[in-house]
Amino acid sequence: MVTRTKDSNRSRYSAYRFLVQTAAFLVILLNPFANYYLGVNFVQGWYQSLGIGKLWFVSPLEGIESILVSKLIYLPLLIGMAIPVLLALFLGRVFCGWICPINYLSEIIDRFRRFLFRKRFIKDWFVLPKYLLWFALIGELVLTMVLGAPIFVWLSPPGLVGREIMMAVFFRTLAVEGVVVLMVLTMNLVTRRFYCRYLCPLGGLLAFLGSRRKLVVARKEPVCKECGMCSKVCPLGLDPLNGESRASYCWNCGECVDICPDRTLGFAWRTRPMEDFILHQAQSDSRPRDESE
Amino acid sequence: MAPVDAVARPFFSSPVSMNRLRPPGAVPEDVFAGKCIRCGRCVEVCPYHSIVPLDARAGVYAGTPLIFAEQIPCYLCMKCVQVCPTGTLRNITQDETRMGLAVIEKYSCITWRGEALCRTCYNVCPFKEKAIHLDQLRPVVDERHCTGCGLCTHGCPITVSPGKKAINVKPLFAQARVKW
Repeated sequence: MVTRTKDSNRSRYSAYRFLVQTAAFLVILLNPFANYYLGVNFVQGWYQSLGIGKLWFVSPLEGIESILVSKLIYLPLLIGMAIPVLLALFLGRVFCGWICPINYLSEIIDRFRRFLFRKRFIKDWFVLPKYLLWFALIGELVLTMVLGAPIFVWLSPPGLVGREIMMAVFFRTLAVEGVVVLMVLTMNLVTRRFYCRYLCPLGGLLAFLGSRRKLVVARKEPVCKECGMCSKVCPLGLDPLNGESRASYCWNCGECVDICPDRTLGFAWRTRPMEDFILHQAQSDSRPRDESE
Repeated sequence: MAPVDAVARPFFSSPVSMNRLRPPGAVPEDVFAGKCIRCGRCVEVCPYHSIVPLDARAGVYAGTPLIFAEQIPCYLCMKCVQVCPTGTLRNITQDETRMGLAVIEKYSCITWRGEALCRTCYNVCPFKEKAIHLDQLRPVVDERHCTGCGLCTHGCPITVSPGKKAINVKPLFAQARVKW
């Protein structure tokens, strides 16, 4: 076996992701200043709906709620939802892992906690069944239609971060609903991404769209020492060795790929239907190595 | 008003009332809360900072945009209607805008009372001579042309009570019913 140095061994997805997240956060942090003080309106909004010139993004959950409640179809809304929906169909919940400001803030808190307590991994104290995410999505859609108003889009933590920044810049005040952001970040101290795992309807919708996604984390090499570091580092509490990285819940953040000491895990582009893929994986996993070669 | 209605008011009733207006092109209040996704793009794009997002106290209308006409009126720049992603603010032109209708309180207006020759509302109206014209030097609103932008309310020197001037915008068109 070739001995490799520790640094060249590791992939650097976490570093790239942190850069993307920082850039995405700077957009919603600096844009209100540009709007208010410079009168530059080229970019408007935040991660509920973002307009960059004539390119519009609309969060799929918000768009679906607007259509469900008003029972009217507006073509620019559908076109605005197209890019996020396509992204979720092919890449899964990458919005959550790579862009969402709530995950960004939670991750900064996590990094600080690891530094403070000099620990490599953070323990989750309160774990619930993962399928609660689907109940959150369905319950939220039904509640919205009953009330006749999209409640989540107003209480949506990713959107609230943007709204509170805008409120602070435009009106020099903070709206009371910002408490929700604080609650979500506090829950993160008990269980990492507690809100994202079990309660976020937007994450649920993106997970649903991405359940047959192309980009997955999979075992690329048969060699695996089963050290279990991937399941410890996963912010969603998934176990990539069990194939849970191919489940809908995974948001493709690549933490497990980075931590894997043998580079067993890696991002894979799924070309076959899901069942074939899992079967193939299971066969190649169970077979002894010399037989498969 | 019935007591039950007064109790139900904070959570489900619309914040739109006299001088509290939706931005231009708004769909009727009937569907506004359901159609608006509270993305705040109209608030950010408004160059006069006329549009204010409501907070949790507005119940189901929290997060929706509102214009406080007597504080900062709408200058009809029509930027907000071009960025609304949901069609809650329909993309319409200046003269099609019907945010409400300006109504002169003739017992409070100093010109109508005969105390002074003020014609501020006439001077600031963006559709002068059409929406507001002078009849024997007294201002008269023409409901066929008034866009309800609130510039007259903002300019009016007479404050009758907090939030109420001698000329006020009443959001008549926000109460229209929607047919599916």
